[in-house]
Amino acid sequence: MMSRLWKEFSKGLWKDLPPFKVVLGLCPVLAVTKTANNGFGMGLAVIFVLTMSNVLVSIFRKIIPPKVRIACFIVIAASLVVSVELLMQAFAYPLYQQLGIFVPLIVVNCIILGRAEAFASKNPVVLSAADGLGMGIGFTISLTLLGGIRELFGYGTLFGTRIMPEHYKPFSFMIEAPGAFVCLGLMLSAMNIFTSWQARRKGQAALDNPSHECRSCGICSR
Amino acid sequence: MKEGLKMIAVLTLICGMFSVTLASLKEATEGRIEEQVLTYVQGPAINQVLGGFDNSPVKDRMKFTIHGSGEQVTVFPALKEGQLLGVALETFTKGYGGEVGVMVGFNLSGKNLSGIGITTMKETPGIGARIAGHGFTSQFKDHSMAVELTSKGGSIEGIAGATISSTASVEAVKHAVSIFQKIKPQITQAWPSGS
Repeated sequence: MMSRLWKEFSKGLWKDLPPFKVVLGLCPVLAVTKTANNGFGMGLAVIFVLTMSNVLVSIFRKIIPPKVRIACFIVIAASLVVSVELLMQAFAYPLYQQLGIFVPLIVVNCIILGRAEAFASKNPVVLSAADGLGMGIGFTISLTLLGGIRELFGYGTLFGTRIMPEHYKPFSFMIEAPGAFVCLGLMLSAMNIFTSWQARRKGQAALDNPSHECRSCGICSR
Repeated sequence: MKEGLKMIAVLTLICGMFSVTLASLKEATEGRIEEQVLTYVQGPAINQVLGGFDNSPVKDRMKFTIHGSGEQVTVFPALKEGQLLGVALETFTKGYGGEVGVMVGFNLSGKNLSGIGITTMKETPGIGARIAGHGFTSQFKDHSMAVELTSKGGSIEGIAGATISSTASVEAVKHAVSIFQKIKPQITQAWPSGS
């Protein structure tokens, strides 16, 4: 049981890392990561929504009729997102001002619905919570990392403190939308190089089929 | 038939349950959100339009009812050693991309505006959004209460290419002036006046 729990939790951290391995939920990944702080704040909101929605979907999985399951999942996700929005306005207003429209848009983040459909609707509560938490933490780390890189080159700061020397001229391309795409692409390719290097070192053939990455979504295998 | 009923029942149940939860959460956070908006949106604008006070205009705010229309307006006072220096109030008009909120500061002794600050707006970045810039708002500093755009014979220079946004902000200021003149007696009664 414990090892199963750990397996479900840890797969979100590397094997099925949401934005980089499964490449899900890219809209907020690209849009809010102008600074490490924004990425981190967005990530926390997603952890909360994802874990809670997985838990609730899992609790109700036996009583939700299959034909209206998507509607039920969306109601659950939307309610949680509105709660996050209200709580953020009440307790972290500056962050709310920064994230703006992207907080309500968590509802349509494919990770939320993806995990509800592919995992939480078929698994018990504890495992679903572990899955949501792991995926959420993986998402947060990715967003913070991407935000950190963009902030470092785009503003010369990290979490708001100056890192680059005074005479560093900010590379403002990095904090624009195209910079987000380029940065994400470079990170994806770095991850792929690392994965195939790791595979080769273990004596396996380099990735000739990406099946273990996309199998996790569970849609094709059905 | 049975399946259909179950679908309706479950969906209704889930929606109802979450509506109740959200409604109670909204009620619980309402006061705190208002306070946060005052601190982070209106607070900085008030500091920009009023000066030399030693109180907290947000904390000392008071609601006044306008005679005639019965409309309520929140007034932020600037006090120094308990004496009223000026007040600020916020008005809204329709701009190019939604509502434009303007915080207008009034100087009580000089009978003029002490300045304006844009609190909320969604005008076009780089064009209409320049109404929030110092170049536009600073024109209202110590201006008389009769504000009008140069195109209409006044002295406020609008922003080229952003007539709607410029007009909206001037209209908001005019609206604030008319409110101020209506509630001025109540304001001077509410706080001791310096001069």
